[in-house]
Formats: sequence, structure tokens, C-alpha cells
Amino acid sequence: MNLLELRDLSVHYRGARGEVTAVRSVSLGLEAGETLGLAGESGCGKSTVAMSVLRLLPRDARVEGQVLLDGEDVRGMSWGRLRAVRWAAASVVFQGAMHALNPVHRVGEQIAEPMRLHGVTGSASSSSVSSSVSALLDQVELPARTARAYPHELSGGQKQRVMIAMALACEPRLVIADEPTTALDVVVQAQVLDLLKRLVSERDIGLVMISHDLSVLASTCDRLAVMQHGQIVEEGPARQVIAAPTHPHTQTLAAAFPTVGDPASRHVTASDTSTGPVLLRAEGVRVDYGTTTAVAGVDLEVRAGEIVALVGQSGSGKTTLARTLLGLQRPTAGRVLFEGAELPRSASGLRAYRRQVQLVLQDPTSALNPRHSVYEAVAEGLRIHRIAGDEPTQVAEALSHAELRPPERFFPSLPHELSGGQRQRVVIAGALALGPRLLIADEPVASLDASVRGEILALLLRLRRELDLAALVITHDLGLAWTIADRVAVMYQGELVEQGTVEQVLLAPRHDYTRTLLAAVPQHQGSTRPDQLSVELRLPPHRLLG
Amino acid sequence: MTAIVWQRRRAAARATWREFAARRGGLAGLIGLAVITLLALLAPLVTDVSGLDVTRATARPWQPPSAEYWLGTDHNGRSVLLLTWWGTRVSLVVGLAATVLSVLIGTVVGIAAAHFGGWASAVLMRFTDFFLVLPSMVLAIALSTVLPRGLGTIVLAIGVTAWPATARLVRAQTLAVEARPFIERAQALGGGHGHVIGRHVLPAVLPLVFVNTTLTVASAIVLESTLSFLGLGDPTRVSWGSLLHAANVHGAVSQRAWWFLVPPGLGVVCVVLAFTLCGRALETVLNPRLKGER
Repeated sequence: MNLLELRDLSVHYRGARGEVTAVRSVSLGLEAGETLGLAGESGCGKSTVAMSVLRLLPRDARVEGQVLLDGEDVRGMSWGRLRAVRWAAASVVFQGAMHALNPVHRVGEQIAEPMRLHGVTGSASSSSVSSSVSALLDQVELPARTARAYPHELSGGQKQRVMIAMALACEPRLVIADEPTTALDVVVQAQVLDLLKRLVSERDIGLVMISHDLSVLASTCDRLAVMQHGQIVEEGPARQVIAAPTHPHTQTLAAAFPTVGDPASRHVTASDTSTGPVLLRAEGVRVDYGTTTAVAGVDLEVRAGEIVALVGQSGSGKTTLARTLLGLQRPTAGRVLFEGAELPRSASGLRAYRRQVQLVLQDPTSALNPRHSVYEAVAEGLRIHRIAGDEPTQVAEALSHAELRPPERFFPSLPHELSGGQRQRVVIAGALALGPRLLIADEPVASLDASVRGEILALLLRLRRELDLAALVITHDLGLAWTIADRVAVMYQGELVEQGTVEQVLLAPRHDYTRTLLAAVPQHQGSTRPDQLSVELRLPPHRLLG
Repeated sequence: MTAIVWQRRRAAARATWREFAARRGGLAGLIGLAVITLLALLAPLVTDVSGLDVTRATARPWQPPSAEYWLGTDHNGRSVLLLTWWGTRVSLVVGLAATVLSVLIGTVVGIAAAHFGGWASAVLMRFTDFFLVLPSMVLAIALSTVLPRGLGTIVLAIGVTAWPATARLVRAQTLAVEARPFIERAQALGGGHGHVIGRHVLPAVLPLVFVNTTLTVASAIVLESTLSFLGLGDPTRVSWGSLLHAANVHGAVSQRAWWFLVPPGLGVVCVVLAFTLCGRALETVLNPRLKGER
């Protein structure tokens, strides 16, 4: 008998505009000791499927079909039975460990909470509870003293481990992990994924993994189901689904997470690589915030018409470096040169500099003022700089450069009426309106759905080809660097540890940290991983610097 | 191009109005305000100012309400109805002027403190805290005794004491808006302080300021009445507070002249209630977070 079986499951939400169907006749099965991956873009219904297993859906949801947990239909359970089943038979690792932990309780108490609620054997005495908490922490490779810590004292990866320990507290047979690694760095992500894999094989539990990232699922799951518009469009052994996807949607998803070293996913040809004059140069740039050093002496240059990828994990100082290059942050030491001249310090000088170098932010939803229409957002720069000429024509031109056509149709739209990809195009159009020579893009596709990522990256490449626009792309994603960059600079704890052409750095890395990063990228297509995380890393303390 | 923008703004204003009109309390308050304002504006046209002149009062003092004097007469034989009617004008003018003054100071200080940060923020906020902890009543009394008597003094006294709460509120909202990435984008586009404040911060803060204004008017009118009641108002003008002051001084209670006390008191209650109803309704419409908790 299957541990979990979904038969013809459909979920409808009653909204203000009538009923919306989130999940349409989904049938899935999972056995003990097996890992099932559920892939899809935001809004495809994958989280709804997961939450329906424990009947955690909001009240306005209407469920059809059967959800069999160990042969028992969850939909028919009484409230008391459901409470007994929740966590003891099946548990959830929630998305976003930062918010799923209560900030005012010690971590140990939170792990012990489900044990006390369910009266797990021995939970009556506090000493045996604390010993089982330490045992759980040990399982997720955390020291026992972590139990005394409050959530804010832990790093993102540690919090995620605590969440996993919590999910295992009542020894459930089924664990559902909803985007367990989305907010984590590649290195930490690899560690958490390894941990989940080990727990599945050791404890013989069933694991349902939900993610938008196929490569994450590929490295952990036996079977994979791809969802689109509430339906399963493809299902099969993970390796097969990813290596030879049959459904077009799966193909798009697979292409969005390219394999480093795969020539097919590299979109830069040798003829593209130009050797123009140096546009932007950083010399020994150092930025301190109080006693914390965010950027510790960086030398970097970007040539005209060149795409440089700045790679590093969060807290490595890459966003601070970008802000410094834009003149939004003044360096503590060192200098930034644009075309050989040092960045001006006066307000008017900086304003003139902004016509040359523009910024594209990570999340287009928050980068656009929700009250401003597309027209206003794009014209904002033109108005600031009082650029002469016909404003509507210039706006239309910028929008069509960003592939929003016909541009007039988008003029009156407000950001919330657009899709994520269209919003990012508006942000890019706003930057292009000023006719810059260099674009600094901070994680330009990190918050976009997989199928849109490729389009935005293609846009950057096309702009380089047509407008000779150089770009400094900041990313944590080595695959992205492999896809579009000419050169790569790797940043670690405020320093550039390695830079060179993409082929040099990504295929023959010289620095240990680059090797660690490459090893941590989830691999698929049967490639063997280099000796896993052999490098001992001093992970930076949790910092709020991007 | 701006045509599209204006079209959208008109549509947004219509939507806001529809939602406001759906709230009965707010609508009642608005109608009440409209009636009171209309009466205040019409006073010089419909009534005779000379009726306020003590020397020309012909009627017997302390007359109870009658067909001739609907609300009776005061200690000088003037019509209480006329006095109350004219009192509306002073109360509204002082309430609105003082509110404009206090909201203006509060908004400028709040936005400046949040936008510039650092030592500017520290200085401005300590300054605000200083005014916040001073009992506003005492400060207003002190100011109106030191400065020459007149409407301007009352407005100044209320305006200068009522702004710190607005400043705190606006500062908090500005900080929240400035943390959003679109501010960074505006800076990267080359926008200076003026651009960021004018195009991004102010439009986001204004609804809050607007709500705050309607609520401040109510308390400003109460404060004006209190000051006038204490005899610190403009002696040459009739306001509700000064009517109550006169009634108190001349022994309306011992005369059992309830008709002298009730009308100005009810006037204050009505105006304050109308402004508060409007303000609350507007707050709910403009701040979607409050909607669910109704």
C-alpha cells in the first residue's frame, strides 16, 4: 500500500471573481523510502497539493477527490483524528524558515512542542524531552547547544535544519518539504539537500519535495512530477524527465537552469566577445560599515560592450560593491573610475554619471512605484535629466528596446497589471531611456519564474549586441554566469578571490572557494560531483548585507 | 500624455468616493460638515451683525426660548441663536487654520527627519519629543497669555502644540516608503532629494496626512473652545468657547439659563463628531489594512 496516494484531486478557491481552480485532477503515489519531486512555477498549484495532504488549506477551498494517507482518506477524518495525524503521521517543512519559527521562543522548545502536543513516549519528563531534542539536532548535524538559541541567533541554513528537526520530532512517515532551500545559498543548499537525502534513506520515510528549481529536485528525487496550470503535465523517473523532457513546459524549466560546462546552454559566442576600452574600473575599493567590512579592497574592470558576472553568496558584499560602483555608496578607501575619470562627488556630477551607468534591481515588483504607470516609470529618468525631445517617442523607443510591443499599449498600465517578466522589462526600459553605456543588474532574474528568466537574459545579450551595452550582472547563480557572461569575478567575504574568462573560472577554477561553489551547484544528467564540499568553509556570520 | 494620468487619477478618486459613500457614518459626517460650513458662510448674508453688539441689544436679558428668540437671550439680551450661529465661524476658522499649521509643520519635520536621517533626524526628533512631552494645554495657555490676544495667537498656540504627533506618524510612514527598492531605483536614475520626496514619498504619505488633518481639526476646535472658555480667546469675537465662558462668568447656572449653555456645547459636539466620523471613514478607505477589522 502506498504511503500517500492522491486520487483525482481537485482544489477550487472561491474568490471575488467566482471559483478559481488551483489543482485539476491530480493523481500521485508515494512509497516509504521514496522521494517525489513536485516542480512548477509560482501559481501552478504545487503548494496547494502539498497543503491538501494535511488539510491545511484555507477555509474557502473546496476539495474534490481522495487524499489517502496510509490508506485513510484525510478528507473523511474527524477533527480529533486529523490533529493526531498532523505531525505524527505526516509533517511539513515550511517555506521560508525565517518566518516559520517563532522569534520569542528558544529553538529547543519549538522542536519539543509537537512532541508534548502528541504525547510522544517519554515527553512527560523534561529531561527525556531535552535528550530527544538533542538527538534530533544531532540528526540534522547541529550541536546540542543550539536548542538554547533563539531563531535570530542562527543563520538561514541552521534555521532550515531546525525546521527539518521539527518536522522529524514525532517520527512521521511522510515529510512534505515546501521550497526547503529557496532562500539559501548554493553551498548551504547543497548541505541541506544532502541532509534530506540521508534522512530519507536512514529513516525510511517518504519525502515530497516542492520546488521551482528542477536542478534541486534532480539531485534529490527519485521521481519527478511537473505541474502547470494545476495539472501534472509530465511525470516519471527524475533522471529521465530532466535529461529527455517531452512536454514543452518541462523543456523550458530544464533550460532555465543550465548546466555549467554544457556548451548548449552557453549563449555567448567567441565573436561576441569584444575588447573595447575599459569603461568602469574599481581600484582597491573598500567599504566599511562601522566595524564591519563589507568590501575589502576590490579591483575590477568592465570593458565597453562586455558582460561581467560578479558571483558570490549572500553576505559576500556584492550588492555593496554594486552600490559603490553606482555612486550610491561612498567607498571608505580606494576609488572608482569611469572612462579614466574618478566618480564625481557633487550631486550634479553624480547626476551626469547616472546617464552613463544604470541599475536594474532584483525584484521588479518592489522596484516600481505601485502608483506610477509604465509611462511615468520609464519617463522618470528623462524628466530628472530634463532630456530634450519628444517624451512619448523616447518612452516608446525604450519600451520597444525592452521588447514591450506595441509600447503604446503599455503606457497606462500599472505595475500590478503586468507579469513579473514584463515588470522587469519596464525596469530595464527605464534604465535604457537614459541611453546608458553600462547596466549594473543586481540578481536580475532571481525573483522571476523559470520560463521568463531565459527571455530576460536573452534581452540583455541582445542589448549588448544592438546597443553595445556593457553589463555587470550580480548573481549567486553560476549557471547564469555560464549562460551570458564573458568574464566572471568570484567574490568571497568582501574580496575578489578569482577573476577571468568564463571558461577559465568555471571550467578550471583555481581558488578553493570557486571549486566549493561549483561543487555545490546541484548536478544532473548523470554527471559526477567532485569530492563533495571537501573545502572547509568559514561561513560568514549572518549579515544583512546582500 | 498627462491626459491619461489625469484620467486614471479621476478614476481613482471616483473609486475612493464610492467606497467612502458606502460608509454611512462618514457620509453623515460629511453632510453635517457641509451644512455647518454653509451656515457659517451664510451668516453675514442671512443675519444682521449688529445683533451681536451689546449696546444695541434691545431684548430683556435671561429670556427663555420663545417664538421671537428661539434659543432665548444672554445676560445682555442678545439672541443666543445668533451668537451660536456666528460662533461657528470662529470655531471653524481657528480649527482649520490651526490644523493646517500643525499638519504642515508635522509633515515637513516628519519627512525631513526620515529622509535625511543621521544627525538631522536625531535633532528633529528630539525637538519633536520635547514638544510631545510638554502638556499642550499648558503650553497653549502660556503662549496665549504672553502673545497679544487675537485669533492669530490662538491659531499659533494650537498649531505649535498639535504637530508632534503628526510628525511622528509621517516619519514612520516615510521610513517605510523609503525602505522600498523603488526609492533606490529613483536615486540610481539620478533623482535628488527633491525628486524622491516630491514624486515618491509625498504621494505615498499624503493620504495619511489627509486623514490626520480631519482628525486634528476636531481636537483643535476643542482646544480653541477650551482656551476661549478659560478667557484666553479673542475678546472681540464670539466663539463657542467664549460663549461658554460668558455663561459661566455671568452665572447662567444660577439663573437656570440652560439655553445659554446647551447650544454652544452642542455646536462643539456636532462639529467634532462630524470631523471625526469623516476622518475615520477616510482612514478606513485609504488604509486598506483597517478594512478587515470593521
